[in-house]
Amino acid sequence: MNFLEPMAFWFALALPVVVVFYLLKRKRVVKLISSTLLWQKFLAENQANAPFQKLRKNWLLLLQLLMLILVILALARPYFAGDAKQSRLRVLVLDASASMQATDVKPNRFESARAEAMKFVDGLRENDQMIVLQAGAITQVKQSATSEKAALRRAIEGAAPTDSITRLDEALRLAETLVKDQNDAEIHLFSDGAFPFPEGFETKSLPLVYHRIGTGAENAGITAMDVRANPDNPAQRAIFANIANVSSNAISARLDLTFNGQPVDLKAVTLPPRESSPQVFVVDQSVNGFFTLKLVVDDALAVDNEASVISLLPQPIKVLLASSGNRFLEKAIRAVPNVELSTTSDVRLGGSGFDVVVVDNIAPLEWPAANVLALNTWQTNWFDQVGRLEQPPIVDWKNTHPLLRFVNFQNVFVNESLAVKTPPWALPLVESPQTPLVLAGELNNQRIVWVGFDALQSTWPLRVSFPIFVANAIDWLNPATSRAELLSVQAGTPFRFRLDNAVNEAKVVLPDGSESELLINTNTTEILFDNTARRGLYRLKTATSEVAFTVNLLDSGETDISPRNELPFGKSGQTVATTVQQANLELWRWIALAGLAMLMFEWWFYHKRTA
Amino acid sequence: MTRMSAPLLTAELLRRLEQFQLLAARRAKSSSRGERRSRARGQSVEFADHRNYVLGDDLRYLDWNLYGRLDRLFLKLYEEERELPVTLFLDASESMTFGEPRKFDFARQIAAAVGYVALCGFDRVRIRTFPEHAADAAYLGALRTVRGRKSALPYFQNLGHLTAGGSAQFNESLRRGALAAQQAGVAIVLSDMLDPDGYEEGLGALIGRGFQISVVQILSPEEINPATYGDLRLIDSESGGEQEVTFGKFRLKAYRQTVDNFCQRLREYCTARGISYFMSPSNASLEQLLLKQLREAEIWG
Repeated sequence: MNFLEPMAFWFALALPVVVVFYLLKRKRVVKLISSTLLWQKFLAENQANAPFQKLRKNWLLLLQLLMLILVILALARPYFAGDAKQSRLRVLVLDASASMQATDVKPNRFESARAEAMKFVDGLRENDQMIVLQAGAITQVKQSATSEKAALRRAIEGAAPTDSITRLDEALRLAETLVKDQNDAEIHLFSDGAFPFPEGFETKSLPLVYHRIGTGAENAGITAMDVRANPDNPAQRAIFANIANVSSNAISARLDLTFNGQPVDLKAVTLPPRESSPQVFVVDQSVNGFFTLKLVVDDALAVDNEASVISLLPQPIKVLLASSGNRFLEKAIRAVPNVELSTTSDVRLGGSGFDVVVVDNIAPLEWPAANVLALNTWQTNWFDQVGRLEQPPIVDWKNTHPLLRFVNFQNVFVNESLAVKTPPWALPLVESPQTPLVLAGELNNQRIVWVGFDALQSTWPLRVSFPIFVANAIDWLNPATSRAELLSVQAGTPFRFRLDNAVNEAKVVLPDGSESELLINTNTTEILFDNTARRGLYRLKTATSEVAFTVNLLDSGETDISPRNELPFGKSGQTVATTVQQANLELWRWIALAGLAMLMFEWWFYHKRTA
Repeated sequence: MTRMSAPLLTAELLRRLEQFQLLAARRAKSSSRGERRSRARGQSVEFADHRNYVLGDDLRYLDWNLYGRLDRLFLKLYEEERELPVTLFLDASESMTFGEPRKFDFARQIAAAVGYVALCGFDRVRIRTFPEHAADAAYLGALRTVRGRKSALPYFQNLGHLTAGGSAQFNESLRRGALAAQQAGVAIVLSDMLDPDGYEEGLGALIGRGFQISVVQILSPEEINPATYGDLRLIDSESGGEQEVTFGKFRLKAYRQTVDNFCQRLREYCTARGISYFMSPSNASLEQLLLKQLREAEIWG
C-alpha cells in the first residue's frame, strides 16, 4: 500500500490533542442528591459485571482516536496498485501552448499543470518509468524514459509555456509509439483541452489519462490580422483584424493600432458573448514598417491581446502575359490594381525582370524563373504523363485557399481538359473525379498556379469568378505577397527566409531584446530560424541586410481557452478529465466512509450512555 | 404543625387507626403500669397463678375458697398489666429532605400514626431523631416520653415542628438509643437506610437490647427511578462527596437492579434477625402502608 499524500500523516499530531481534550474532563452537570451510596453501588456492580472494564472507561476516547486515525488515513490517500497495472511506463504530456498561460487559475494554467505533474511524479512508484513531453507547436522530449524522480522533476521544471498553438497530434503520435507494445503504459495529458482535436485518434485505443487544467473562459483575443492595400484606395493600407470573445459575458475593450510603435488609430469595441467581430482600420503609410494591434482588455489570457504584422509599401506588379490571345484573361489581369502588364505571343519568353508570368495556351521554349500562372499548358516536367478528358465535371473546389477566395465554380462547364496526376508539390484546388483541374504549389522556390483547361473552351471567363480568380492568382504569385507572408509566422513555426545574397553569419534579435546567433552553413542563402516560441517582432540581421518579421499567435483555437471536460479520443473513443490517478485503486473513500460510520457509532454509543 | 402545610394524618385515618393496638410479641417489661400483660405479677383482673402464703402478704389476695377446701392458705396472683414502650427512631438527616413528597414528611406521618396507635393503647411513645438538632431541643424534649391519648395532639404538633438536616450516624444513634432505653419495647426505625457505614451495627445494638424492631425504609421516587440523564457529577447531600456518573436510559435497568439488590440485602438481614422490614417510596399511599402492610405484618392488629 502506498500513499499519495504522505504529508497528511502530519495530521497525526492531532491524536494527542484528542487525548488532551479527553483528559480535560467533560463538563458534567452538577446535581445534589440525597446520597451517592446507591450510585456507588451501581457503578461498582456494573463495572464488576462488564467485560473489558478497563477499556470501558476510555471507550469513547478509543472511538475518537480510531475515527481520527481513519480520517488521517483517508487524507493520506493510500492506494493499492492493482496487479493488472504492473506496467509502469508513464508518458507525461505537458501542454505548453499559449492558452496554458491563462491566469484563470493562479498563477497560471501552466504553473498549475506543472504542479500537478510534480505531484504525479511524487506518486510514481520506485521502478516506474516516465517520459516527459512538452507539446506546443512542436513537441519536445524533455526527458527520456527514466525512473529517476529528480531528473523528471528537473525536466518538468525546465518546461516553459510558449505563445504557440497546440499540435497535440504530434505529441500523441510520439507518445503512441512510445507506449506501443508496453503492457500497461499510460499517457497522462496535462492540458486545458483548448486545442483543435487531432484527427485519426478517434479509433485508436490510446491509454490516455486527461488531467484537466483551468476553470474559466474569460478571454478575448485577436484571432486574425492582415494588412493589404485598401480596395477602395490602393494608396492606403487596410488592416483587417478579427476579434473574438469566447467568454459568456459581453466585453468592452479598446483597440490600439500603432505603426512602428507610433499610435495611429484607436477604436472602442464591444464584443457580444461568444462572438467574434471583424475590424478594419484604414491608414496611410509612407514607409515600410509594422503595424501592431493591441486589444486593451482585462482577460485571462494576455498573449492573444496583441498582434503585429509587417507592412511593406506596395510595389507595382510586373506581369508578363504570354498568350495565343485571350481577351478575357488580359482584361482580367489589367483589372488587378497596381499591375504593369506586358504581353507577348512569342514562345521565347525571356521572362526575367517580371514578378509574374502568365502562360496561356502556348508552350514556352524556356520556362521563366518567376512565379507562373499556367493555363492549358502541358509541355513541362511538372507531370509524369498528360492525357485528355472530355467534359470533366467539377465536383469540388477548396474555397478556403487564398487563391479561391470568393471564387465559385458552380456554373462553370469545361469542354475539354488535360488529365494529370497531382504532383507531390502541388495542391489540387479544383477537382473533377478523374483529374485535378487547378493546381497550386511551390516548386524550387517558384510558385506555380496551373489551370488544366483552356479558359476559352469553358464558360468560366463569362462568370464573375474568373476575374476574381485572376486577381487572387496575381496577388498570390506576387513575390512581394509571398515574401510578406513569410515575414509573418505563427508562434512555434520556423521562420524561413531566402536572402538575396549569400551570408556566412546571421543573428536574430528576439522580442525581449536578446540576440540569438544562428548556426548556418557558409554561403547559404536560406535562413531557418525556429526559436519562435514567443510572440513579437523579431529582427534578422546579416552582414548586409536587416529583415524584420513578426511572430503572432492568431489562432482562434488558442483564444478559446475554455477547458474541455472530454476529449473525443482515447481508449474508448473519448477521455473524460480526471483528477485522480486512475491507475491506482484509491482507498480513501472507503476509509472516509469507515470514519463516518465510526463517528455515527460513537454518537450512538454516547447517546446510549446518556440519553 | 407549622412546618407542614397539611395535618400529618387525616381525621379519617386517625379514626381508623384507633381500632388498632400494637401487638407485642413479648411480655412487656416496663416498670410502669399499663394495659399490657407482663410477666410481673400485680394488680389486675387477670388471674395468673397461686402461691403459698408467706407472712406479710396482703390478706386481701388470699384465696378463701381454696382455704375452705384445702385448709391451706394460698395467695391469688394476678397478672400485672404494664405499658409497652414504643421507641421511634426517626432519621432526620439531610438525605431525608429529598423526594417529592419529602421522605422526612412521609416518615413523620408514619411516626404520627404509630405514635397515635400506641398512645391510644396507653403505651409510652418516645421519639429519637438522629441527628438531634439543637433548634428542635424543646420539641424533642417533649417527645422524649409521651403517654396517654390526650397527649396525641401535642404529640402531633411537636412532631410537626421537627426539622431535618445535617448528616446522621445511623449506627451510632441506634446504639446510643438502645443503651438509653430503660426498657426495651417496640422499636420502629424510619430511615432511608442510606448510610455509607451500613445499618448492621445499629440494628444489631437494638436487637441486643431486646427490642422488637420494625424497619421502614423510605426512598424517594428519584432514588428508585432516576430521571436525570447525561454526564453527571453527583454530590452527596450529607458527606459532600462527589460521584461522577454517566447515566442514560439504557442503564436504568441496571440501576434498578442495584436498588433492588440493596433493598433485598436489607430485607434478608432483617428477616434473618426477626426484624419486620417494610420498604416504601415516599410518594406511596400512606393508608396502604399503615392499614394493610403493617397490619398484615402484625405490627398492630
